[in-house]
Amino acid sequence: MNILYDYIYYAGAFGLIFIGIFTMMVKRNYIKVIIGLSILETGVNLFLISVGYISNGTAPIFSNPGIEAKNMVDPVPQALVLTAIVIGLAVLSLALSMAIRLYKHFGTLDLQQIKEQRW
Amino acid sequence: MNEMSILDPVLLIAIPLGLAFLIPLLGLVSKKIVRWIPVVGFLFNGIVALLILPHVLKQPIIVKIGGFVPPFGINLYAGSVGMLLASLIAITGFLVSIYAVKYITKGAEQKYHILFLLLLTGATGVVLTGDIFNLFVFFEILCISSYALVAYLGTRSGLEASIKYLIQGSIGSSFLLIGIGLLYGQFGTLNMADLARQIVDYTEPSVFVSMVFMITGLGIEAAIFPLNAWLPDAHSSAPSSVSAVLSGIAIEVGLYAVIRVLFTIFAVSNFFIFFMVLGVLTVLIGEMSAFAQKNIKRMLAYSSIGQIGLIVFAFSISTQLGVAGGLFQMVSHTLGKALLFLCAGYMIFRTGSMEISSLEGIGKKMPITALCFTIGTFSIVGLPPFTGFASKFMIIRAALANGELLLQILIGLVLVGTIIEGAYFFKIIQTIYFKGAHKTDNREEAPVTALIPMLILVSFIIVIGMFPNIIDKVLQPAASELLDQVKYIGSVLG
Amino acid sequence: MSLELLIMFAFGGAFLTYLAGKISSKLRDIFALLCSVALVVIVSSLYKVETTITLYNGFFGMPLSMRLNPMAWFFAIAIVSSSALVVLYSMSYMKHRERTDYYYFMLLLINAAMLAIVLSGDLVSFFISWEIMSWSTFLLISYNRNAALPAGIKYIVMSLIGSMCMLVGIISIYTAFDTITISEIVQHMATATAGYKLFLLIIFSITFGIKNAVVPLHTWLPDAYAESPSPFSAVLSGMLTRMGIFGFLLIMFVMVGAENSLHMGRGFFSYHNILAWLGAITIVIPTFIAMLQNDAKKLLAWHGIGQGGYMIVGIAFGTSLGLAGGIFHTLNHAIYIILLFLSVGAIEYSTNGLRDLNSLGGLFKKMPIAFLGGLLGICGLIGIPLTNGFVSKWLIYKTLILGKAPFLAFATLLGTWGTILSVYKFLHNLYLGQLPQEHQNIKKTPLAMQIPIVILSLTILVFGILPGLPLKSINAMIVSFGFTPLTVSIWGISSETGTLNMINIFSILLVVVAIFWLIFQAARKSTAVDQYDNYAAGAAIPKDKYNYTVEFYAPFYRMATPYLRDIFDMLYQKIARFTEFACDNIRKIYTGYVSDYIIYIILFLALLISAQLKWSVF
Repeated sequence: MNILYDYIYYAGAFGLIFIGIFTMMVKRNYIKVIIGLSILETGVNLFLISVGYISNGTAPIFSNPGIEAKNMVDPVPQALVLTAIVIGLAVLSLALSMAIRLYKHFGTLDLQQIKEQRW
Repeated sequence: MNEMSILDPVLLIAIPLGLAFLIPLLGLVSKKIVRWIPVVGFLFNGIVALLILPHVLKQPIIVKIGGFVPPFGINLYAGSVGMLLASLIAITGFLVSIYAVKYITKGAEQKYHILFLLLLTGATGVVLTGDIFNLFVFFEILCISSYALVAYLGTRSGLEASIKYLIQGSIGSSFLLIGIGLLYGQFGTLNMADLARQIVDYTEPSVFVSMVFMITGLGIEAAIFPLNAWLPDAHSSAPSSVSAVLSGIAIEVGLYAVIRVLFTIFAVSNFFIFFMVLGVLTVLIGEMSAFAQKNIKRMLAYSSIGQIGLIVFAFSISTQLGVAGGLFQMVSHTLGKALLFLCAGYMIFRTGSMEISSLEGIGKKMPITALCFTIGTFSIVGLPPFTGFASKFMIIRAALANGELLLQILIGLVLVGTIIEGAYFFKIIQTIYFKGAHKTDNREEAPVTALIPMLILVSFIIVIGMFPNIIDKVLQPAASELLDQVKYIGSVLG
Repeated sequence: MSLELLIMFAFGGAFLTYLAGKISSKLRDIFALLCSVALVVIVSSLYKVETTITLYNGFFGMPLSMRLNPMAWFFAIAIVSSSALVVLYSMSYMKHRERTDYYYFMLLLINAAMLAIVLSGDLVSFFISWEIMSWSTFLLISYNRNAALPAGIKYIVMSLIGSMCMLVGIISIYTAFDTITISEIVQHMATATAGYKLFLLIIFSITFGIKNAVVPLHTWLPDAYAESPSPFSAVLSGMLTRMGIFGFLLIMFVMVGAENSLHMGRGFFSYHNILAWLGAITIVIPTFIAMLQNDAKKLLAWHGIGQGGYMIVGIAFGTSLGLAGGIFHTLNHAIYIILLFLSVGAIEYSTNGLRDLNSLGGLFKKMPIAFLGGLLGICGLIGIPLTNGFVSKWLIYKTLILGKAPFLAFATLLGTWGTILSVYKFLHNLYLGQLPQEHQNIKKTPLAMQIPIVILSLTILVFGILPGLPLKSINAMIVSFGFTPLTVSIWGISSETGTLNMINIFSILLVVVAIFWLIFQAARKSTAVDQYDNYAAGAAIPKDKYNYTVEFYAPFYRMATPYLRDIFDMLYQKIARFTEFACDNIRKIYTGYVSDYIIYIILFLALLISAQLKWSVF
């Protein structure tokens, strides 16, 4: 039980990553693929956060003189995640804006039908 | 550092980035001035990079951003490899942006120039950074701006290629991030030198898994088989100036990142056979797919895959000679492929079609462009006296110097790829010069702004091809820098 | 005159000719001619000079050098003089064609590259010049468009295969001995193992065998010769293809050394014996295929392959006599095949591109000079005494008989027999017989085209009667390979086993001709008739042209055609088609479905991990 407790965040994160990739792999609708991408990114972000997480830890701020660094969660992954979220947002918005143009051109969002570019 | 403040590698990233964000403001002043901003930016970058280059050959410059001493904070590592590629990026960027002045006239011009600057900023950042998360960030700048640029024309094919590229590319980025997270979780640092110091055995499963994730993530941008399915679509649908940069810079930078991660962080020394076979497969599949193409840009894109395979092969020999040959092949591929895409751009622009058959008789109508194209193909195939020959010579020499039978067989297969490549490129040359003289439509020579970059690239190709010693002086320290992990750690951490 | 100047002059002349053509075509023609003549002068002034110079060290610090020795000089003079004649010829032949600037540029570039090949003192500059020659040849073969395009592709693909083999060979030498200078390689070669020498011999033989069109590597040649512009066909067959012979000499007798290359393997399965047999096959089959051709240039092309076989047989036999024969035959072949191509070119020029043997004829009176060229050319080709071909063939026969190789000797004789049969058709169908009506008023052969034909015709006779002239420098070359010199006089060769003295033959022939002439003079009964005044064994003569050579050798054709197919060409075509098929299908892995691409990515990841777990590849 203890093992699961320790690794629950990792399990959750990789669960999300697998769901995301699986969605991207099997879904034909472009919007659903984007949703899959979003889930994947969330999973990765969760993973990064859990790397630096310590249970019952405190925020990494030396607000009071008595706080020790030992119990602080690692601030670096949080900074990384912030960046990753911003990048993810950019990718997502680009992908969605292209969905609009895609629908205008092809009249469909079914990726199985959008295959003029091949071979 | 104080006495040469202009020679600060940070400027190589800061100036184009700053200019990119300045463009919307300057666009309010004058629409025309915007076109010349990338030109100015990369001219500056080129000069600075070439001025820094001789300094770093002796000693790498470590830039501590914000004054934090590594491994804390982010640092830039301007070594020989980084500066070699940074100069290459700046020069190519400069030439392509001159080309784009007249070429990009339709659509959201300002946004094109912003994205173009960002793309190359990202590329420069990747080659100069000494921090893996920073690497990820620059990598994303590179990727996102290339997704957008591929779809720049807003055509059916462009959009399709762009979304496919985006889907695969963002999976790659996620994998890269997972790899970085795994490394950070184990070693608590993001600094490449610090990581390199702490990783003793890369075959340990936890370290190995993070390496695999990073390789796969970066490998997608580097277009290693079988991760390269996006490449032919994206490179053929983008505007030609973008294709030139994507083929000439983006995939090379991706490959650089793979190599840097493998050599420097993980100190992989015997990943020979696997990557070698992968490289040869990439060569053969790329060239064979290119052979049957009817679309000129698609053919060039597949040929890029083949060239990347050759570079992968060269690096995986992982001797001084092999790595130098791989870097040299990068340089000659950048020059050659950028030239080919630039030429093809105006040929397509004038004929209005990407079909190879529509190029018939273009040798008469656009003699200079056709000549440049021919020289480009000769260089890519590896015929003397052009650069492609010198770099191929170096790679074959590295392969044979090793003395292993397997390597000799593999180099034979690579040469089979070269023969196939020769066959389809020579067919195009015949189409250009010796077919369909009857076509008398009003195709005219490309404008001067397009011819100047082409001719400069041609002169580079010929000069470096005849006097490879010029670049060999940079290649040798660069190769030893990539191979010597201990020195890298020492120069960053002191 | 130093060698740098010569090389710079050759390459610079080519570029400047192109630029001159942008100003005026007259200027270009004159400039090109002056350049070629100047090269002849420079090279001949270098006679008996032996020197080595280093051009520069810019190529990865390797010393790229040029060296002049008897072998280089011999080939160089042949290259520059044939080039000068061809340039002169082209002045008229190419006058009203398109892209003449480009034509001259490529022609001179090819000549410069060939010059650089024979003069190069190291393997890298050898390879660079070789490649420049290859791609510029490709560009010129494609010049005639249409049918020339597949011929060009065929040429360049085979040529690339050859170059890649050579590149591997050169770089392996470089890694093994750490030098690329030929003279240093020679010294290192003593330490190499026999297996390595054999590897070098084979890998270079592929390259040079392709260039010299040794069966089974000959298939590029017939199309390439037939479809190039005629003056260039002449260069192609005369000198360019024979760079292969130069290469064989270089690898066998200079680099690996005669004592090694002639003792590689045992008995029948020794390297030089197999090469000789390949040479014999190259003589027989292509010569008989030539007989089936109806295209004048294709016929000559197949003979070009066949004659190359004589040279290979001579060289591969590796005695002083054989080498002299092989090398001398290279020169002789160059002279008469250039002459023949120029004569055919003259006909092509006058009849607006006709070269079909069945629709021409009777051009003897209209084009006497071309007839002279054709006649002397085929005499040389057959090897009729008093023409140059006789001497070299005699040397080769003699070698084979002395070397106790009756089957090879029989093959060479069979080749000569086939040559006689087929060139008779060539001569007759072009110049003799009836002149078709539409050719009554054909264009005159211009002077610039007549001069080279006359010069070459005279050379055939001069070298036929005075074979000592070229044999002296050939002798010097043989000595530099380490063979015993031949006793050469200006009239021929004397050796302990048999003497060739052309003056005797010449005087005997002169007497015989004089007697016959006297007899004919005494009994002169012939009357000149119109060429349409024909006798057809009592049958009615058709009104239009009665060409009784259309079905020449028909029974022979019926018998031999099934065996005289170019099976190797068919094999290569099949391979090419298969490759195309494979190329067309392999790209289908890029299916266009993104989900497939994602699967590839996941598979790659899985493969990396599982490969490590299973085999620990890293």
